[in-house]
Amino acid sequence: MPPVPPDWLAPLDTLNAAFTRRQFFRRSGTGLGVAALASLLGERALAAGTPAAPPPPWSIAPKAKRAIYISLIGAPSQLDLFDYKPGLANRFKEDLKDYLAREGERLTGMTARQEKFPLAPSIFKFAQHGQSGAWISELLPWTARMADDLCIIRSMKTDAINHEPANQLMYTGTMQNGKPSLGSWLAYGLGSANQDLPAFVVLHAKHTSPFSNVQAISARLWGSAFLPGKHAGVSFRGSGDPVLYLNDAPGIPRELRRSMLDGIEALNRRSYDALGDPEIQTRTQQYEMAFRMQTSLPELADLGREPEATFQLYGEEARVRGTFASSALMARRLVERGVRFVQIFHRGWDQHGTLPRDLAQQCKDVDQACYGLVQDLKQRGLLDDTLVIWGGEFGRTVYCQGTLTETNYGRDHHPRCFSLWLAGAGIKGGTVYGETDDFSYNIVKDPVHIRDLHATILHLMGIDHERLSFKFQGLDQRLTGVLPAKVVTDILA
Amino acid sequence: MTGAKGRPGWRWLVALVGGFALGSAVRAETTFYQARIAPIMDRHCVVCHGPEKKKAGLRVDSFEWVMIGAESGAIVKPGDPKGSELYRRITLPATEEEVMPSDGKPLLSREEIKNIELWIAGGASAEKVMADFPGAPPLARPKAIAEALAPDWTSRAAQITALEQALGVRLLPRSQVPTDGLILRTASSPARCDDAALAKLAPVADLIVEAELARTRVTDAGLGAVAQWTNLRALDLTRTGVTSAGLARLQPLRRLERLNLTDTSVDDAGVGHLRALPELRQIWAFGAKVTEAADPRVVAK
Repeated sequence: MPPVPPDWLAPLDTLNAAFTRRQFFRRSGTGLGVAALASLLGERALAAGTPAAPPPPWSIAPKAKRAIYISLIGAPSQLDLFDYKPGLANRFKEDLKDYLAREGERLTGMTARQEKFPLAPSIFKFAQHGQSGAWISELLPWTARMADDLCIIRSMKTDAINHEPANQLMYTGTMQNGKPSLGSWLAYGLGSANQDLPAFVVLHAKHTSPFSNVQAISARLWGSAFLPGKHAGVSFRGSGDPVLYLNDAPGIPRELRRSMLDGIEALNRRSYDALGDPEIQTRTQQYEMAFRMQTSLPELADLGREPEATFQLYGEEARVRGTFASSALMARRLVERGVRFVQIFHRGWDQHGTLPRDLAQQCKDVDQACYGLVQDLKQRGLLDDTLVIWGGEFGRTVYCQGTLTETNYGRDHHPRCFSLWLAGAGIKGGTVYGETDDFSYNIVKDPVHIRDLHATILHLMGIDHERLSFKFQGLDQRLTGVLPAKVVTDILA
Repeated sequence: MTGAKGRPGWRWLVALVGGFALGSAVRAETTFYQARIAPIMDRHCVVCHGPEKKKAGLRVDSFEWVMIGAESGAIVKPGDPKGSELYRRITLPATEEEVMPSDGKPLLSREEIKNIELWIAGGASAEKVMADFPGAPPLARPKAIAEALAPDWTSRAAQITALEQALGVRLLPRSQVPTDGLILRTASSPARCDDAALAKLAPVADLIVEAELARTRVTDAGLGAVAQWTNLRALDLTRTGVTSAGLARLQPLRRLERLNLTDTSVDDAGVGHLRALPELRQIWAFGAKVTEAADPRVVAK
C-alpha cells in the first residue's frame, strides 16, 4: 500500500500523496527490473550481501560488448554513395511523373507540386572495391578502402517521410514521441561496464560546410522516456569541458563536496523510501556519476598520450575538439573504457538542392575518420566485440528536386529504400545485402525494416528483442514494438 | 503450404502410390537431393508439410512427396525455378503474406535458396549427384550443440558477490545460460586491480571465461594467477605492465582463443611462448614490439 502522508505535510504534499498509487505501481514495475538487473546497477545501489542475481531472461551470449552508432542526420543519398545504378546514365531528365503515379507514393510537400520529375543520375563515379566487389562512390574513398570490413545494406526501409518522425523511428523505434532511445534500451538491458562513465554517451560532431541544409535534433533521440532517467544518453559538449560544472567550485574541497553529496543522498533516500519514485534514484545516481566523472573525464579527454599515428589515421582535424574526426577518436576512447553505446550525431545531410557540392563536403567531414575508427578498433583488438553502424534516417529520390542540369541537382526524401553499413562484432564483413530496382525506388530483394535493424543490433549485443521489455501504460513496451521484426541472420558472421 | 483445406483429388492419390514405388530405387546412393535439398526441407518445411501436419495437402519429407505437390497442384516445375511455386514462395519478401516459411519462422538463407534454384533448374532430379551441381554453394553447418564453457556458476552466487565487493571488480554472467561462464570486468576501477586481487579470484578460477584486465596494475607475477583460469577464452592485457617473460606463464591456458597485448612491451620472444596454445586464434599487439612475422596469429598493425 502507498504510505499514508504524515499529518505535518504541507498541502502540496497532500497532492503528492495522490500520486503515490501511480508511483507505487511504477515502483513495482521497476522493482522487478531492479531485481533482474542487480548485477548491472551501480555498486552503490547494491545492498551488501545480496546474492548475485541471475542474468535477466532476455540475455543471450553477446557478440558485441559495445557499439558506436554514426548517425548522419538529414539522410545521405544512397544513389550517390552505395546504390550504384549504371543504367540511369542514359535516362538523364526522363520524366518519372507516370512512374510515380503508378507507384502511388506520397511525395513531400517540397516536390508534390513539381510539374516534372526529371530523373537525375548520380554524377559521381562508382568503382568496385575489396574482395567483395562492393560498389562505392568516389565521394567515400576511405570507406571504399575498408569495403571488406563492411556489410552494406542497400535495402533499408522506413515508414517515415520527414526528418523528425524518421529520426524518432530510427533512434527510438517509433515515429511517436515518448519512447526510449536505442542507447537507453541498451543501457537499461546491459548496464555499464565502467561505473565512472555513463553507459550511453552522445557526441555532437560539427559539420564544416556553411551551405549544408541542417536539421535540428533534440534529446528525444537519446532520451530514456519511461525508462529510469539514468539510462538516458549523456551528451558531451564538443568544445570546452565535455560536461559542464564538473569541477569543484573555488574554495570547495573535494572532501566537502563528498560529505555534501552524502547528506543529499541520505535525504533523497528518505524520499525514495517514502515515494518509491525511481527518478529520485536517478538523481542520486547522477550526482554520484558527476562526482566520479571529475576524475574519469580529464583522463578521457586528454588526447596527449595518443601517438602521432592516431592523428594520421583519423586525419589531422582529429586534433580539433568537436570535429567529426575528434568525435570518432573520442568514441574509441569511450568504448575502450567500457562505455556501452556511443552515438555520434553529424548533421547537414539533407541535400534538396546543390547536392553535388554539399554532399561532397559532408562526406569529406566523415570519410577518413570512419575508416580510421574501424581500423583503429581492429588494430586494438576491439573490433571483434565492437559493433559500428553508419547511416541516416531515410533515402533520397531518383528524381530531381528543383532544376536539373548536367552538373547540379537535388534530391527529395525517399522512405522506400536507403543504404547503411555495419562493421565489427558478429557482422559478416565484405557483404552487400539487399537490392533495389533500376531507379533505387523499391526494394526487390531482402528488405530490412528499421525494426529488423534494431532486432539485429540487440541480438548482437546479447539481447532478445522480444523479451527486453518495460511495463508502462499497461503494456510490456519494447524497442521493436508489436509489429513483426526479425534478426537479419544473413548478415551475421 | 498454408491454404484452403480440402480433400485431395484422385490425381494426388495416384501419384502418391506411384511415388512410393519409385522411392526405394533412388535411395541407394547419396544424391544432390539427399545431400542438399532434403536437409533444407527437413529444417524449414517438414514441421508443417510432413507426416503430421500436411498443410495444404503438401508433404515435402521425401522427393516423391515433393513431386506430388499440393492440393493446388505441382510445386516444382522441373527446369524452371521461376515457374515453380516452391521457388516463388521461398523468395517472396518477408512481408508478403504468401511467403514460406510462414508465420514469421526464419526464412531460407541465400545459400539454401540457391541450392533449390539450381536443383530445379537442373531438372529437379532425384538421381543427379553433387558433381552435377558445381556451382551449388555449401550450406552453413547446423550450429553444434552448445558446449559448456565453464561449470554452472549459480551455486556459487554468494561467493561471487563477496569477491566483487571485496575486490572492486565485476564478475558478470556471459549470458543466461549458467554454463556460459563469467566475464571479469575491471574498467570501473582498473587501478584497484593488481596481482594480489587476481590471486584472490582463485575460488572462481574455473568460472572466468573472459578477463578484461586492460589498464590494470597487473604484472607478470599476476599472470601466475591468470594461468589457473583454465576455462579462459579471451584475455585483454592492453596497456598493462606484463612483459615477454610473463607470457610464458600462460601455457596452461589451453582454451585461450583471443589475447590482447596492445600497448605492452611484449616482443616476438614473448609471443613465442604462446606457440603451443592450441585454440589461440588471434593475438593483438598494436603498439607492442611484436611483429606479425613472429606468429601468423598476430595482428600488430
